[in-house]
Amino acid sequence: MITEITEKDYESLDHNVPMLIEFYSKTCGPCKMLSFVLKDIAKQNPDFPIYIIDFDENRELKERLGVKGFPTMLFFKDGKEVSRLEGLKQKPVIIKAIEAIA
Amino acid sequence: MENIYDIVIVGAGPAGMTAAIYAVRANMKVLLLDRLSPGGQMVNTNEIENYTGAGKLSGADLAIKMFEHTQELGVEFDYKTVIDISNSDSLKTITCEEDDAVYQARAVILATGTVPRRLGVPGEEEWAANGISWCAICDGAQYRDKEVVVIGGGNSAVEESIYLAGICTKLTIVTMFDLTADPKACDQLRKMPNVTIYPYQEVLEFTGTDRITGVRFKSTKEDATERYVTCDGVFEYIGFSASSEAFAKLGIVDRTGCIEADSRMRTSVPGIFGAGDITVKHLRQIVTACSDGAVAANSAAAYVESLKQ
Repeated sequence: MITEITEKDYESLDHNVPMLIEFYSKTCGPCKMLSFVLKDIAKQNPDFPIYIIDFDENRELKERLGVKGFPTMLFFKDGKEVSRLEGLKQKPVIIKAIEAIA
Repeated sequence: MENIYDIVIVGAGPAGMTAAIYAVRANMKVLLLDRLSPGGQMVNTNEIENYTGAGKLSGADLAIKMFEHTQELGVEFDYKTVIDISNSDSLKTITCEEDDAVYQARAVILATGTVPRRLGVPGEEEWAANGISWCAICDGAQYRDKEVVVIGGGNSAVEESIYLAGICTKLTIVTMFDLTADPKACDQLRKMPNVTIYPYQEVLEFTGTDRITGVRFKSTKEDATERYVTCDGVFEYIGFSASSEAFAKLGIVDRTGCIEADSRMRTSVPGIFGAGDITVKHLRQIVTACSDGAVAANSAAAYVESLKQ
């Protein structure tokens, strides 16, 4: 399932659950196309939490997580970032990263 | 066999998507494949205002509209990286990287497009995607109030420079020739107060320690003056390379890797067609790619029908 969050919501997430957090920008073409791919992935993996967060409106969190550009996907397990993908990536590559933490 | 199609289209940019629309409307069984997502290079374009009838819109929005059009017509699409295409008399075999997927088709339309070309100078590999970028829309935000260098002087370089100059304190353009982009865009860029242009330059290296710090380049004129410009980031726009590795062995590409196709988008191999930026052509635009796609689909459908006679 894909859920849009803010940096305030981020703090209250259950960080023990494996999750994907994507930083995006409304003006970014590759981000729009990635959302296309993520929707497809979410359809196939309805129980895996995917959170999207606006890069431009959540500056404190993106600084803290060291996110420099968009789209950036962070894969978390047991409260720790396990891997990171920057830019528009192939669907199988994203699925592989999810399978590694799920 | 379930995986036999009339036409498999490789690449879902504007050429591939238009080909899919025309092919499915010609009652062909069609499969459209792309390694990333629909749109191709146009998703990296911030603003398009020369696609007839569409007004001003982003490349991604146009890509989504085109893709939705293919889906309304029932085009089958999948995310696959095609790694090999082989040819036998009646069927072509398309092999993909993912899941060892193999498809067969009576005709194939190759619309794989191009990828950004690189300079191949010292420091480029080291700072690639970490200081050197090929997409201002994606990575420009981190250079707000910072200094950047843009390499190149064509349409992409100038359009992206206009965007970057609006958010950076200083923008330096280093280009092999003079600006060759659309004159209106060149004028707009030249008028921006924080832009310096160095034409007729050869890039020598990118420097840095823990991050990129500058670009060294020299004049290609007789004086061969060497310069060094400090910066926080670099954007490269020096043209594109053909994405033709999967079918180079078919003998249908020229020395640059582009497909040589005739006016009906036929290659020298019967049943294999080219369309869009991957073909040898003068003007690489969305509208010309769409035109290629329509012609290729029409020719491919006629070829498939001819096999039944």
